[in-house]
Amino acid sequence: MMSGPLLLLGGIGLLAGIVFGRRRPRLWLVATVIGNASLIVAAALVLSGPDDWQWRNGFPIGGELLHFRLDGLSGLFLLLLGIVGAAGAIYAREYWSDEHHAESAPRGRAWWSAMILSMTTVLLSSNGLHFLIAWEVFAVSSFFLITLDRANREVRAAGWLYLACSHVGTLCLFGFFATLAARTGGWELGPMREQAGLAPLLWLALPGFALKAGLFPVHIWLPSAHANAPSHVSALMSGVAIKLGIYGLLRFSGWLPVPAALGPVVISVGAVTALLGIAFAFAQDDVKRLLAYCSVENVGIIFVGIGGGLLGMAHADAPWGRVLLAGALLHVWNHGLFKALLFLCAGSVLHATGTREMTRLGGLWRTMPWTASLFALGSVAISALPPLNGFVGEWLVYLGLFDASTSHGPAAWAAMPATLMLATAGALALATFLKAGAVIFLGVPRTRAAGHAHEGGRLMRGPMLALAALCVGTGLAPVLLWPAINRAVGVWNSSWVAGAPPAPLLTLGLVNLTLLAAFAAGSVWLWRKAHANGFRRGLTWDCGYAAPTPRMQYTGGSFAGIVTGWFAEILRPERVQQRPRGPFPSSARRIQRAPETVLERVIAPAAAGVLRVSSAARRLQHGRVQFYILYLTGGLTALAIIVWWGGIQ
Amino acid sequence: MSPLVNIIVGLAMGLNLLALGSSRLPSVIRAMAVQGVLLGMLPLVIETDFDWMVMLVAVVTMAVKGVLIPTLLRRAMRAANIEREMEPFIGFVPSLLLGAAGTIAAIAGARALPLLTEHADTLLVPGALASVFTGFILLVGRAKAISQVCGYLILENGIYLFGMLLIHSTPLLVESGILLDLTVGVFVIGIIMDRIQRAFDSLDTRKLTALRE
Repeated sequence: MMSGPLLLLGGIGLLAGIVFGRRRPRLWLVATVIGNASLIVAAALVLSGPDDWQWRNGFPIGGELLHFRLDGLSGLFLLLLGIVGAAGAIYAREYWSDEHHAESAPRGRAWWSAMILSMTTVLLSSNGLHFLIAWEVFAVSSFFLITLDRANREVRAAGWLYLACSHVGTLCLFGFFATLAARTGGWELGPMREQAGLAPLLWLALPGFALKAGLFPVHIWLPSAHANAPSHVSALMSGVAIKLGIYGLLRFSGWLPVPAALGPVVISVGAVTALLGIAFAFAQDDVKRLLAYCSVENVGIIFVGIGGGLLGMAHADAPWGRVLLAGALLHVWNHGLFKALLFLCAGSVLHATGTREMTRLGGLWRTMPWTASLFALGSVAISALPPLNGFVGEWLVYLGLFDASTSHGPAAWAAMPATLMLATAGALALATFLKAGAVIFLGVPRTRAAGHAHEGGRLMRGPMLALAALCVGTGLAPVLLWPAINRAVGVWNSSWVAGAPPAPLLTLGLVNLTLLAAFAAGSVWLWRKAHANGFRRGLTWDCGYAAPTPRMQYTGGSFAGIVTGWFAEILRPERVQQRPRGPFPSSARRIQRAPETVLERVIAPAAAGVLRVSSAARRLQHGRVQFYILYLTGGLTALAIIVWWGGIQ
Repeated sequence: MSPLVNIIVGLAMGLNLLALGSSRLPSVIRAMAVQGVLLGMLPLVIETDFDWMVMLVAVVTMAVKGVLIPTLLRRAMRAANIEREMEPFIGFVPSLLLGAAGTIAAIAGARALPLLTEHADTLLVPGALASVFTGFILLVGRAKAISQVCGYLILENGIYLFGMLLIHSTPLLVESGILLDLTVGVFVIGIIMDRIQRAFDSLDTRKLTALRE
């Protein structure tokens, strides 16, 4: 089988990327792209063929023999990793170039290859110890990528927060893998569904992987890390890195026995995450924070799908479980593509204008038509509108949820509320991206920087176009991707291996094609008609103002105001307001900010309390030898009393 | 054996109080040295059969505690040019009172302990407890490093007294090992004191708080 040599080639390419990254940018690009391409081909081979790829070696690392495995599940994630990894590498050549970032660009290239290599190792490892090592390298390399622009204080803060959160998750995973190894007698991983005693271990794995995936309320690291990282890094983080958390949960819920309560828990946490994630996203003014919160929402959708799969498995392998799991996997793939695309578009805007704040942008579609149209395409996809790929994945999730809701079992109680919350989240997602697209690209420029924007070069546009093409392709022909999804579903639960796609998938592809054809025909007709009548350029909505200025536009905050009000209990928006007073007001202002509530209202006060207690305890360590001896005496006396007391009893 | 033993231990307990009450460092050192010599004599008194090993250990103990260590300390004292403990954490009268209270408590408390009958009527256990307590008071309550070394040695004397209880079952070799440790410890402390003195121009351990990290 060809996968082995291809994976070896991929590894060599990425290693060469790490070596050449600092000094030889062109060689780095070639090596990294070749490496990623071989990963893509290897994954595609495994996904299309019937067999898994396995490789064992007598060479021990850390006392454990190497064992790599590429099956349907890891193959799907590896495919996504290869695509986003290659696209981001090409994009970074122009976006984070040596001319503009002389100090950080070489580091960024080396860490990029390192991060992809470590993520590949995570996906391939079939040994708990090596999984943990690769997981740690992956976390550290993404920390260094997030903090590429480390001169900036905010970036450093985001990096530390990420590192801390990531290690809390890793701690859970340490517990998980160590207990697993102790129970099974070895670090070797593999299917072990029959050992029913292992089921409670998944409760340890869930928080560890959920932290990486960014599930509410442990998503706190995600917005600042995604916003402050360079955009190609955000694309990789949001598109693939957080998916590794999902991969972990899928991997181990597929191999280990599943506790009965896991399905309902995952599905409800997922639904809450989806709703709150998009509510937070809607309130944001920073475009990359908005996209980051939107990732939280999408992770929620994926978790609803996974939870549904778990629920279905617990209900005698109900067919709706299969549909839900397939929907989740499809959404993993889709979200990886369109979220990477959207982050690259946001990076393009940032590159052109130097700001992420939407209230300083506006009217960019004139100067950046490519970015504007690709952002629009990504928005359509992420809002799950037909005919693009987002619709396909979410539609499967909805289908499964409907079937589960009408199944008249206890599953309906979990599925029904999830359906409602998901539907609300979907509507808000559309509104969010309407806001983002409209405020950034429509209207007139709000600042001078936005007025002087320019389109990025070919190296930036190419990867965006490729990702967009994949989004369109998946939307129009989801049937082509079905074998891969089916492989992954079959790996997760072998009784769902039945090959035929759910019939609607084929119909859906046809409907999408028809829709696209109708859309194209309509556009051509409109274009023709417009040309026949001639153009006249004017203001979009004049509204009868005598002298309109760029300030007389809807801002992102005003657009989101009402919905932010609905969720005010959780969002807790902060307002500074000075109303205009008198007939000739000299000044008035209104500043609104949407804080990261969980971090700033829950975690930060708790951490401050811990810090206070520990600094009080630090006073005990004052450096006076005499008192240290007193402590010793006191401790000894207390011990003696305890022993004496014990003797009396 | 009891009367002689009790007299020796009683004298040692008195020396404890002397060490607690005096502000001049030479008298503290002298009290400690005399206590060491007295306790060194104990094995000879307790052990009725003549044993050259016991003899040897007793002589070495007396030599080290009575001569070697005090000489070292006096030299360090002269080098550091200090005669008095000026600012103790616990004043001399309070520490004397504390020591007296501790001695009384040790005598009272020893009655409550489940001791062998042959030990019950000696002052060995109360003396040991009182010495350990005195050592702690000196360690906690004094600021000068030399006083603390003295406290440490008195503490060790208390432990040595406890060892006397087991003289029939523990080989004196163990005690001689402890003695060796002690001597090395005093050497090291002497060297450290010298360094501290040179670096900070003082032997006041309160000024060492900057080293806590």
